[in-house]
Amino acid sequence: MKQVRVLVVDDSALMRKLIPQMLAADESIDVVGTAMDGSFCLKKIEELKPNVVTLDLEMPGMNGIDTLKEIMRRQPVPVIVFSSHSTEGATVTMKALGLGAFDFVTKPKDASAHMAEIARELIAKVKAAAECKLKPRMMPGMAPKPEKPPAPSGSPNKIVAIGVSTGGPQALEFVLSQLPGDFPGAITVVQHMPDGFTDMFARRLDEVCPLRVKEAQSGDILLPGRVLICPGSRHMKVKRLPLGDIAVLGDEPRVNGHRPSVDVLFNSVAEEFHSNAVGVLMTGMGDDGAEGLGAIKKAGGMTLAQSEESCVVYGMPKAAIERGYAIRVVGLDVMGSTLQALCGRNTASEAAGRAVRAGN
Amino acid sequence: MTNPPDERGVELRELFFETSQELLQALNEEALKLEKNPGDEEIVRGIRRTVHTLKGDSAACGLRELSELAHQFEDALSLEGLASQAAVAEIAFSAADLFTEMIGAYRKNTKLPATKALSKKIQELMAAPKPGKTRGPKKVAVKAGSRTKAISPKKSSHVSGRAAAQWTEYERLAMTRAQSAGQDILHVVVKIDPHCAMPIAGRQLVHNAIGTMGVVIAARPDAKSPAASKQIEFVLASVQTPEQIEAKCKIPTIVEEVTVDLLLPASKAQPAAVPEALIELAPEENAAEAETAAPQTPAAAAPAPGAVLVTQENVLRVEAGRIDNVLNLVGELIIGKSMLQQALSEFSKRYPKELLRGKFADAMAFQARVLNDLQRSVMKIRMVPVDQLFRRFPRMVRDVARQCGREVELAVSGQDTDLDKGILDAIAEPLTHLVRNAISHGIESAEERHKSGKAAQGVVRLNAYHQGNQVVVEVSDDGRGIDAQKIRAKAIELGLTTPEEAAKLTEPETLNFIFRPGFSTAEQVTEVSGRGVGMDVVQSVLHRLKGSVSVETRLGQGTTFRLKLPLTLAIIKALLFWVEQRLYAIPLNAVLEIARTFEGEVHQVDNYEVLQLRNQVLPLLRLGRPAHEGDHKSKLFVLIITVGERKYGLIVDALEGEEELVIKALDDQTFATDLVSGASILGDGRVVLILNLPAVVEHVARLRPQEMGQANSGLLLTHTDRARMALTPDAGGRI
Repeated sequence: MKQVRVLVVDDSALMRKLIPQMLAADESIDVVGTAMDGSFCLKKIEELKPNVVTLDLEMPGMNGIDTLKEIMRRQPVPVIVFSSHSTEGATVTMKALGLGAFDFVTKPKDASAHMAEIARELIAKVKAAAECKLKPRMMPGMAPKPEKPPAPSGSPNKIVAIGVSTGGPQALEFVLSQLPGDFPGAITVVQHMPDGFTDMFARRLDEVCPLRVKEAQSGDILLPGRVLICPGSRHMKVKRLPLGDIAVLGDEPRVNGHRPSVDVLFNSVAEEFHSNAVGVLMTGMGDDGAEGLGAIKKAGGMTLAQSEESCVVYGMPKAAIERGYAIRVVGLDVMGSTLQALCGRNTASEAAGRAVRAGN
Repeated sequence: MTNPPDERGVELRELFFETSQELLQALNEEALKLEKNPGDEEIVRGIRRTVHTLKGDSAACGLRELSELAHQFEDALSLEGLASQAAVAEIAFSAADLFTEMIGAYRKNTKLPATKALSKKIQELMAAPKPGKTRGPKKVAVKAGSRTKAISPKKSSHVSGRAAAQWTEYERLAMTRAQSAGQDILHVVVKIDPHCAMPIAGRQLVHNAIGTMGVVIAARPDAKSPAASKQIEFVLASVQTPEQIEAKCKIPTIVEEVTVDLLLPASKAQPAAVPEALIELAPEENAAEAETAAPQTPAAAAPAPGAVLVTQENVLRVEAGRIDNVLNLVGELIIGKSMLQQALSEFSKRYPKELLRGKFADAMAFQARVLNDLQRSVMKIRMVPVDQLFRRFPRMVRDVARQCGREVELAVSGQDTDLDKGILDAIAEPLTHLVRNAISHGIESAEERHKSGKAAQGVVRLNAYHQGNQVVVEVSDDGRGIDAQKIRAKAIELGLTTPEEAAKLTEPETLNFIFRPGFSTAEQVTEVSGRGVGMDVVQSVLHRLKGSVSVETRLGQGTTFRLKLPLTLAIIKALLFWVEQRLYAIPLNAVLEIARTFEGEVHQVDNYEVLQLRNQVLPLLRLGRPAHEGDHKSKLFVLIITVGERKYGLIVDALEGEEELVIKALDDQTFATDLVSGASILGDGRVVLILNLPAVVEHVARLRPQEMGQANSGLLLTHTDRARMALTPDAGGRI
């Protein structure tokens, strides 16, 4: 197997020691160098030609964001950013993802408790990053804030549930920004992401998409043109109630090693909405969501899996496709139009029908 | 999942303890900068970044308390408009102190210091009103909001807008629907009697009761929550009056108290308009949040110009012990070299015609050169810029100056001068003491300075430079200087000298009294200085290091303390000589010259032996036996040495030569004397003792000679020597 050459960039001497230590657990990874700030990082990228760079975002001198911009401008290398568990950390991380960072890992919080877990996550992401085909960013750097047309009234005609993990932030941004503000379906999203980051992620998406994106709270109503992102470290289910359909958050144990878990959302969407459910499984490691996609298919809903060549990590869609749960395999570039075609225009009759039901 | 091996955790912690020192240093420096330029956002960002790294690192090592505190501080520092607060620098200082203490406690596995005081200060900082506009207050509001959520619902009921936040969208939708259907929306809080035997069943009864009064739209907390047994909140859509509801809910022995407030009065508004209004709510909220989030991004992304220079990327951290090990081996090699040299010279004597001699000599010369380079390189590893030490002082000067109510500026120069790490560590304390003294004793108060026509701000100067084979570190101030008269009076008062003797003392001699134990002229004992301990400690440390300390002062203009230090502790160039058939050595750099003279040239002054050398009169130290009558013609070797600023002559029996000595420390148990500072092994296996010159000189100065020449003789004689020479055994020789 080809060795993955990694450059570790961090201003903390401790981290420059710790991160290579964590990566050393995997034989196929070679840490070829470390750098303490952005300018060193750029120099070493030229010198060492690493396959993957891990980048701390908080550094003196040339900070992480500027470094990332430079890397992407000069000679793009997959970058995994390290961020801290804080509001500020989340904001900067989202920005980094927007600038083309491959993925992010939160800094280890406790040597004894979480180190092994973070090491595994980091190793997996480094490997995924090494294998990814680095594409030029599909999004223009900073799109002007889109106009938000008035949301369509009434109830959504379809419930779209999206499950996504590694590579998700970029893919999701791409898909959602292609949907119009009067999209007739309601969208629920499980993106594997830690607590605190989902809020920033939702805000970011809300800024760049015509849709109304929000981190879900229990009891939030599924509305047409609205995207609810499941908060990190909670599970999201949906529920039909007399006055409308809502999202319900829960703290059940991890499923498939994840909370939020895509399976939890998909199963619940299948159960509540049957043929009105649309399940979309996108790029990500592992197989979370594959079984849930099967449940949606079984309940009569529509199921989509992202195509291999458009995935950053072809793990979750692959699992679903192999098990025969994906009705259609769709490339990222046409995902938006596919969803629009599936949900259709918000016809008057449908709206009226829903209104009658809601009025009961 | 398995925990990482313990070893790794330990190693990581060690690394943290080491790297954290730099971070704390940086924190102190940044805080100082901030104090000088209050309101500089860039510096505050620097502080935040340092605290951030500290937080991350300590978290990675599982030092939870530290990382939490750092986190709190970091959060506070990210508030906008905060930089303008004077308290920030102050808190950064306390934080640096507390972090240092905490790390010390972690390291020694002792109890952690209390963090509450700092934590409170940080909270106050966050709560304080800020001149900056948007973000700071907003963030505080969010925090405060989350707290009040839990406590306040009772009171907030009359403001429906505020209360709305705690109800979900769906519940709010249900409320507006019920409201437009002509029902009052009521907020009912039921307190369960704490003495109620079955709170769970009680809760169910309350639920049933309230269910009969209308439609329960929401209930808090969840039935599963343990808090549910204390108090339950309901949102009820009802047509009943509050009184009726209250009466119904007040179930004896279960319910202690019921409060009913009107949340939304029934309206006759057209039902269609309601959902619209609700839907508007969410995006609006989002937009507001998005807007407040926006300004923080440029701030975070702004590059920090000139923050930290390009340093030490290729720096390797090595435990000092390992280098010492290498140095020791180099020392052994040097001994080996002299063994070879000795063997070679014997060989040459035995076979003067042998051609191999030349080859041996070439090889020896080559080896010697490499060995020399090797030694120098290893030594260089141990060398660190004195800046490592000087960096600590700005903070200390600031603190001490405050305590003493002085205005002091610290000027530092020569911080690139390299010094052995061991020496650097050893002089940290003496230097600290000298700087403290300079501020508390040296620098006058602002008024006093004003009167004598000086600038209000005093200057304390730290300087370092190389001088030959030595490093000189100076601490000087432009303060009042030391009054030799006062020292003299005090010395007499303490019985260290007599008035007659004192009158004869030169100024440097007088000043030397300040290095005596228990000597202090400060009028009052303060926290900072004047306790009479210190200067003697300074001197003893320097003696131990084979260095010296001297003082130079000008009344009204200032004082300079000059520490002279050897470049390294491990290897010295030494002059070897014989005294009473024993081999001794002294550092070569203390030797000015070697004079040959006759016994007859030695004169007596005040029972001290002196030698007139050209136009100088030098006090003599006779290390061996005293001179006998009739020795006038016998030849003498006199080593002219300097100790401190003074010159002395050492009378020795014979000279052996120059040699590089690898110093081996002596066990304190074996050698109960300070006259000898170490020992070394020569190439032929002979042992040589290295004299501690300052101690030797001091030893003589302390004695009051009663008899002619007695005091400065026989210092190195043993009891057996004495017995052999029939001398009194109490004259000072202790080896």
